[in-house]
Amino acid sequence: MKLKIIPKSEQDLSKFFLVLFPVFLIFSLGTQFLRDAYFSFSNLLPNNQIFNYGFLDRLYNQLTFGLTASIILLLSFSYLFSKSIGRLLTIFPLIFFASIGLVGTELLDVFLNFVPGVTMYNFGNSSLLINLKIISLVGLFLFASINLLIKKEAVIFHSAQYIYGGLLFYLISLLVISKKQVVFSDVLLTNVFYTSTHIYVTLSLIFLGITHFLMTKTFDSTLFSRTLSSITFWGFLFLLPWSSAKYYYGSVLPNWLENVSIYLSFSILIPLLAFIVNYLKTIVSRDLENSNAVLLKLVNFSVSLFIFTNLLNIVSGFDNLLPILGLTNYVNLVSQGYLASMFFSIIALSYYLIPKLFGREVTFKSLDNIALGGLKFGYLLLLLNNLFIGINSGYIWNAGANTGSPTIYGEGFNLAWNLIGINYSLSTFISLTLFVSSSLFFLSMIKAITSGNVTKVEEMVVSSE
Amino acid sequence: MSDLLNKVAELLKAPVTLVQRSAEARATASGVSVEDVLNSWLGGESVTSSTPKEEAPVEEVVTTVEEAKEEAPVEEVVTTVEEAKEEAPVEEVVTTVEEVVKLKEESSLTFILSVVFVGLFTYFFGFLTTGNQATALVEESLNNTIEISNEVYVGAQIYSELNCQSCHTQNVRALIPDTQNGKVLRNKYASEAVLKNVGNIRLGPDLSTNATREPTNNRQWLTRYLNDATSVNRDIPHPKYNFLQDQDMDYLVTYLLSLGEINE
Repeated sequence: MKLKIIPKSEQDLSKFFLVLFPVFLIFSLGTQFLRDAYFSFSNLLPNNQIFNYGFLDRLYNQLTFGLTASIILLLSFSYLFSKSIGRLLTIFPLIFFASIGLVGTELLDVFLNFVPGVTMYNFGNSSLLINLKIISLVGLFLFASINLLIKKEAVIFHSAQYIYGGLLFYLISLLVISKKQVVFSDVLLTNVFYTSTHIYVTLSLIFLGITHFLMTKTFDSTLFSRTLSSITFWGFLFLLPWSSAKYYYGSVLPNWLENVSIYLSFSILIPLLAFIVNYLKTIVSRDLENSNAVLLKLVNFSVSLFIFTNLLNIVSGFDNLLPILGLTNYVNLVSQGYLASMFFSIIALSYYLIPKLFGREVTFKSLDNIALGGLKFGYLLLLLNNLFIGINSGYIWNAGANTGSPTIYGEGFNLAWNLIGINYSLSTFISLTLFVSSSLFFLSMIKAITSGNVTKVEEMVVSSE
Repeated sequence: MSDLLNKVAELLKAPVTLVQRSAEARATASGVSVEDVLNSWLGGESVTSSTPKEEAPVEEVVTTVEEAKEEAPVEEVVTTVEEAKEEAPVEEVVTTVEEVVKLKEESSLTFILSVVFVGLFTYFFGFLTTGNQATALVEESLNNTIEISNEVYVGAQIYSELNCQSCHTQNVRALIPDTQNGKVLRNKYASEAVLKNVGNIRLGPDLSTNATREPTNNRQWLTRYLNDATSVNRDIPHPKYNFLQDQDMDYLVTYLLSLGEINE
């Protein structure tokens, strides 16, 4: 396995991020496990400045939605963007430095949590680092735009357009969190638009970019409809940024925003249906002999999670459910759903890329199957468990136990905890499953890269550039 | 025709299906038969195109065959390009290329501008404009005549750094805490920077009226609870904050006891 310190091409940069991804996936899921353990078993574990639920929860968010998400975005950008527009990237050295700048500042943000005396926030620990991230993202976005502009074909290819949209909305989310917060409504609004632009839109577009590549390339099939793909792209791009405001129904946010959010959430059904039809019709036309069954299952699973998550997002807009589901784990569940669907698509892409970039064959033996099985089982259970917690805790808080006006503090919580306590304990074991499975996935990747059967490395050549 | 197709595919080193599709597209565009197109590719005879702008990206070359299934026009363009290079008079090609490049750049430019418009619309209309409206709503209900002591301010910062808001809200919604719909509570910290600590997920109880209720309005009880929640209720999975220095714990408790005393 050869990794160049200063990559000379998209392939080298893709290799770099391909190796980084499973490493930070382990960190992310490991922190999730510790966080959940410190929630359910805080009485049994030693507590200090670092090992406590609040700190670990912040660390998990920064590791997952900041660092790991940026690595996944850059992996898909460095490999798929040039593939999709059909040429090597122009001004590659600048793209490389902008990419390193983004990952570096995200990493620095995570490290700052461990520096004593630094004031820590969920979205980033210093305005300087947020500004550096913005500069890196502006650079990447400009370079991506230049590469699109010098492309000669009339058609904007689908993977590239999704990833391009993902870059822009990552940037928008950074602009959102960089704005100074003055009154408490600003905090709500920042949360609303960070969640929708960074998590809903960016992660969805990365997922869609990867899926549109895999569903055609990996299975040797032809995209069923470009029109449906465009409906998917523009639909999600227009609708998803507004869909998280509904969870703050009844708050100090303007009523029109909450109402618009509800109606636009229902409209998500349109791009979702377009995507489902396009995906199914495309997959049906696949070459049965050349289709890799494991990758097909992985892509199918990630698509199923994506559909499930969007349905949850749509259903929660009904006015008799919204007061119950808002401000509960259900909100986290929707974010986790988008995250999980992106994770599985990038895992499928990783397995696809190992032979292409490292010239090694992936045979999918027991280690790989156990790792993938564990991740699938873990995420499925995690989502269902959070669904149960969200509905039950929301019901208790808003409709059930507290219909009077309790004066004894915490009595409502006791009732809630009696119902959902077991699910939180279960969350810890699910997180453990995910952590172990991600470690096995890392081993599986390393094993394939270092000792897989030698195969032909893909050549990424543009002859006349 | 299949023999012809195979020969052309072999010559171009491209899959037969792609060659066939490219030839069909070329034939449609040029108004000639598929056989003529294939013969021209095989024998080098040029096919006159009725839509020259469609075939001109002479400089464009495909990176890989991989994306071709999804994005077949690339392959199509390539074969056309090779042909154009061989057959077309140089000056004519240059002119056509310039025109087509302009056309294609406009296409990408339209896409880029559209995406940027959606992004900026979301940011300026969705986030900034709404933010101003929400600020006006908050300021209408503010009661900031109460001065906030330094102890409370420091306590709020400790609360924020401990990330208590990951489980506790503070009147995020127009609800009486822990009950059904009710009136909007005022929050005296609304104009303070420390108000990064309004939570979003209500897992534990809402804290906006913490100091108005038993037993959390008691300093001793609260200190004991935060140091070890099991000492007052063994079933509550609340984190222990016994690692805090005594002074920091005092600040934190002071802040919690300030919540709700003037909220209404």
